Amino acid sequence: MIKTDVIIIGGGATGCGIARDLALRGIPHCLIEKGDFAAGATGACHGLLHSGCRYAVTDPIAARECYEENLILRRIGRKCVEQTGGLFVRLPGDSKRFRELFLRSCEEVGIPTEVISSTRAIDLVPNLNPEIEEAIKVPDCSIDPFRLCLLNIRTSQLRGGIIFTRHKVTEIIKSHGRCTGIKAVDQATGEVREIHANIIVNATGAWANMIASLAGSEVPMTLVKGSLVITNHRLTNMVINRLRQPSDGDIIVPNEAVCLAGTTALAIDDPDQLLTESSEVDTIISEAGKMIPHFNNTRIIRAFSGVRPLLKSKKADSHEISRGFQIINHENGMYSIAGGKLTTFRLMAEKMVDTIMASFNLKKLCETAEIPLDGQEELSGYPLSRRLADMKNIVCECELVTRQEVERIIRQTGTRNVGDIQHRTRLGMGPCQGGFCTFRALGIMNDMSVISPQQSMEMLRGFLQRRYRGIRHALWGDQLREEQLIEYIYLGILAMEKPE
Amino acid sequence: MSVIEYDVVIIGAGVAGLTAGALLAERGFKVALVTTGEPTACLSTGCVDVCSRDHKPLSGIHDLPPEHPYHLVPEKITRDALNYFQTAMMDMGIPYAGSAEENRFILSALGTLKTSCLVPLTMKTAPQDNKEGIHIVTFKGLKDFYPGYIISRRKNTKFSVYDAGVYHTMGIASHFEEKEFFEKFIIWLGKLNIDEDKIAFPAVIGMESAAEIINTIAILMGKPVFEIPTIPPSMPGRRLFNALKGYFRKKGGMIYWSWPVEGTEKAGRLIEAVATHSAGRPNSINARAFILATGSFVGGGLTATREAIIENVFNLPVHTDGPRETWFDNNYFSLNHGIGRAGIIADLSLRPADSPWDNIFVCGGILANTEILKNGCGHGLALATAHVAAQSCAEYLSNEI
Amino acid sequence: MKYEHCIRCTICVENCPVFRVNPEFPGPKQAGPDAQRFRSDREKAEDEWVLLCSQCKRCEMACPCGVEPAEIILKAQQRYGREHSHTPAHLLFANNYYLSALGSLTVPIANMIASAEIGKKAFRAMGISTYIPFPKFRFRTMRKEKKILNRRTRKVAFFYGCFINFYRPDIGRKIIRLLSALNVDVVLPPQWCCGLPALGNGNLALAKYFAQKNASSLSNYIDAGYDIVYTCTSCGLCLLHDYPGILEIPQGKKIAENSYDVHEYIIKLINEEYARPVFKETLRKIAYHIPCHLRALNIGYPAAKLMSLIPGLECEILDDTCCGLSGSYGFKKSNELTAIQLGNRAVSLIRKTKASDIVADCGSCRMQLGGLSGLPALDPAEILCESMGITDQK
Repeated sequence: MIKTDVIIIGGGATGCGIARDLALRGIPHCLIEKGDFAAGATGACHGLLHSGCRYAVTDPIAARECYEENLILRRIGRKCVEQTGGLFVRLPGDSKRFRELFLRSCEEVGIPTEVISSTRAIDLVPNLNPEIEEAIKVPDCSIDPFRLCLLNIRTSQLRGGIIFTRHKVTEIIKSHGRCTGIKAVDQATGEVREIHANIIVNATGAWANMIASLAGSEVPMTLVKGSLVITNHRLTNMVINRLRQPSDGDIIVPNEAVCLAGTTALAIDDPDQLLTESSEVDTIISEAGKMIPHFNNTRIIRAFSGVRPLLKSKKADSHEISRGFQIINHENGMYSIAGGKLTTFRLMAEKMVDTIMASFNLKKLCETAEIPLDGQEELSGYPLSRRLADMKNIVCECELVTRQEVERIIRQTGTRNVGDIQHRTRLGMGPCQGGFCTFRALGIMNDMSVISPQQSMEMLRGFLQRRYRGIRHALWGDQLREEQLIEYIYLGILAMEKPE
Repeated sequence: MSVIEYDVVIIGAGVAGLTAGALLAERGFKVALVTTGEPTACLSTGCVDVCSRDHKPLSGIHDLPPEHPYHLVPEKITRDALNYFQTAMMDMGIPYAGSAEENRFILSALGTLKTSCLVPLTMKTAPQDNKEGIHIVTFKGLKDFYPGYIISRRKNTKFSVYDAGVYHTMGIASHFEEKEFFEKFIIWLGKLNIDEDKIAFPAVIGMESAAEIINTIAILMGKPVFEIPTIPPSMPGRRLFNALKGYFRKKGGMIYWSWPVEGTEKAGRLIEAVATHSAGRPNSINARAFILATGSFVGGGLTATREAIIENVFNLPVHTDGPRETWFDNNYFSLNHGIGRAGIIADLSLRPADSPWDNIFVCGGILANTEILKNGCGHGLALATAHVAAQSCAEYLSNEI
Repeated sequence: MKYEHCIRCTICVENCPVFRVNPEFPGPKQAGPDAQRFRSDREKAEDEWVLLCSQCKRCEMACPCGVEPAEIILKAQQRYGREHSHTPAHLLFANNYYLSALGSLTVPIANMIASAEIGKKAFRAMGISTYIPFPKFRFRTMRKEKKILNRRTRKVAFFYGCFINFYRPDIGRKIIRLLSALNVDVVLPPQWCCGLPALGNGNLALAKYFAQKNASSLSNYIDAGYDIVYTCTSCGLCLLHDYPGILEIPQGKKIAENSYDVHEYIIKLINEEYARPVFKETLRKIAYHIPCHLRALNIGYPAAKLMSLIPGLECEILDDTCCGLSGSYGFKKSNELTAIQLGNRAVSLIRKTKASDIVADCGSCRMQLGGLSGLPALDPAEILCESMGITDQK
């Protein structure tokens, strides 16, 4: 049984941000996450650090928050935030009135914009549709969301935070009507952990209502599924947005060596039942193709869906529901924090921890905006081309991950799950989607005696099945060809047996 | 325009194409083979899988669903095709063990027993069950092979590691071709204390000379030795390809590399020529008959767009189960994906069914309903259908004269 | 964006001669399509190892997906060359044309220096390897030759290339006489280095300069009804592939469409029944080493076809290996070990054939294989001429 001051349920950006803030303010805490970090919306988003412009028209408060956080994150995450800049492009037929409104709103909110001619825009991003009429330059940035969570968690770990991933919370322990702790099951061993604390923070995003109900509370949410596609390589070095009312498929974000394009918006009921549909993929490609024509023929390597955890609203159009966040005090020792977006995670964490400090009657102020994120020295950083300097000993050739990195991750995190290696190194995130390198990574885990005999085969099978879900809707053209090769390798050359 | 005249042009340099080509060339026809690049066979285990459904492959074939293209090949021809292959490989210096009467196992890099039928001599002594003790000799830093997988599945299996100074398949294989390196290695090997019944290597011990090397080691150590096929790059696959390529040339066939067919010339119901754009001048090759052996998606014979599946050379109608949504099952391992059945349906002469052309024949992986992985029938089907296609083609050419 | 098509099958890797022997080179897949996803026009080039690619094009011939890794790597090499200073060896070889011109003017002194110990020491100090002797310069270069114009229907402009011009003009003379014996007029158009040495040594600007001059000159002849004939397969690849390609020569397509390898041209004459050469019995057993660039030309092996018409000639074709010299590649000390290892392997395969002579269309291959084996290394044209009784003396 573990005793601490604060339990954080949920290892997405919000939960990790709260852990970091608590650590910096010296509050003992424990974070529980049922999967690996960024298992929910955080890991299924564009990885876009908004300039805020996108919300300036409909939600100026959210826009202002975004912009300020954008500046802060650029400062504290110098090596993990890629300062790509962004363009809002106006295509023939797009409303000029909206453009005026957009520029005015951005100005009112205080976000710097620059109107540039189509020639200049195409100079900056050669793959842009030559028909664009103009573009507005904005300070968008991009970040790897897994990495963001990991860097936040590093601070917590350095200062004694206790972290349990792959532990599912099954019970919230109550005593005299107050939440005093949780029980969580280790997904690998089945062992039950009991942790007691004075405050529980429910930062589970789309699962907020489910977790809240374990304590007899409620968080009214609208769950909106959004799908994204990932391209084989970078088609743009800047974030590209469509200059119109927010709608499907109007963002393209360069992230590491790929682009993410999306998204869609479909209301759903169950965050664990996520199915990407071919029609969504077609829509995204079609819309993205209007901004970057090559999209219509380019190779897509993956298509997946995430859930936006939005606070319930009466508005019919999901795109218009406010992205603002809310802290709900359930008056029983548990707080829920819901809503918000990746860009404002730090602010959400700050507000949450301020509330916690107040309830503990402590006065220490938040420093997360001033202190740089821990652990950045290990990153290769940007620009990407720097990583080409040394090509030795590479295990994942698509993403240039070395054997040493894999071994280091295995040793450092004691991981027994190949997905953990993927999130921390990008192994398997490239065009072959782990076809070759997963065999190698599991082989290395075998060599390091980290997994048992039965586990490596199960993991390989599990990995192939999970991977398949992500690529199934992107299987045509080159990617289908790739896939058949990977199939020949695993089921042919390696003669993997079918699961019982 | 550079125009050359041949009797038949084979499109595709895989097992099916090279075999059909050799058969026609040795009957005296003028044969050219065009290909975009090297075939999927280069990456394979080098073994000939005939049909893995039953311990007797020919019975397994018998039990295949009626639409399977194996049923277009009389059993005798399948037998002949396998014999022909073994004779040819013996001729080219890489003998194959096995027979059409029963399947056998090789050991995979995951430690599973893979069913195959004809295997290179270098894999002949692979264990046929989980009981035999094996000593695996692997190489330091070789990132494409991990003995741990095998050890975790078999009792009585141990391994030793040799530092070859290079850490990838091609490098190690190349070193083994050098006398000095091999002698040093043999000395090290001789000092190992090996209790197990057999010795295994990942398939990196030599390029052309692997069979000799294995033999030398087996004699030295007094135990059977075999190799385990690796993920690509694959030395056994390479040897198979080089041997078939050499055999085709030996019979008088001509190969045009980097020759993707980008257009065809036709008249009436006949294809007259295939054309490509290469190195300056548009190039076409005239022939009286054509054999399409371009393989499935990996091979480049079929391409899937979001809307349809296309046959890349002659735009023949492609049989598919349904639209894109039906191509894939929910379960990765179901081996029931609709896409595995996509391809060209052929008649008994191995002409495409309902074809607008009289002088095209098809063989190999491009045929519909093959489901190669489910049925374990890759190279075997290629060999069998190549024989039928070559025969039909020869008859056609003889009648045309 | 051809690198999109890469399915990581590693067939290119199986074919790369450099990867096989040099652990510093990551192979065509990693150097080409894999690395390309990380390269950016706006960032400094950090991939020094791209220079290890010898541009043999074997990866491109083998790729089933049309990725063209060698082209991707070539562009990366130019990029790297632009942003980083060149070694003395690179500078020398890029300007080989000028240096060889100087060398041929100052024969025999130039030859004495090049073969003397002091000369070799100087070369090694500059990063040039000396494991095989340099070819000797000749005073009577092709520039001094006369054309043969007898108003015949077929006429060619002969692009002889630097190797023939400065080192083996005797072969060039034989080719002129060979073509004339087949009833073809031969002129020697104003010409410069094809540009490949400059391209291969990171000097795109110099390569373009040579290419433009050649293109203008050859273009005039094409307009006047001449076909262009080349004998060095690397010159040929440069004319056909790089002029319309990376060198962006406006007349590039026209040059490519009207240029023929000399043996390809002779076969064309035979097929069109314009010429009927008579080959006398020639008793030789030869090992015909196919130059990598001949494979890359996609014209098959026309010299092999011609030599198959010679009675008594036993010809074994070897096209599975690269000789390792790859133009000036092997002459750079950083590549010396690679070149020697590959060369020895090629030689051992040749020795297995028990042939008495080596034949190769490319001067570079002949230097390497002849130098390492001690066997005579001949141009196929020499075999043809021998069989037809053609010499280079009047």
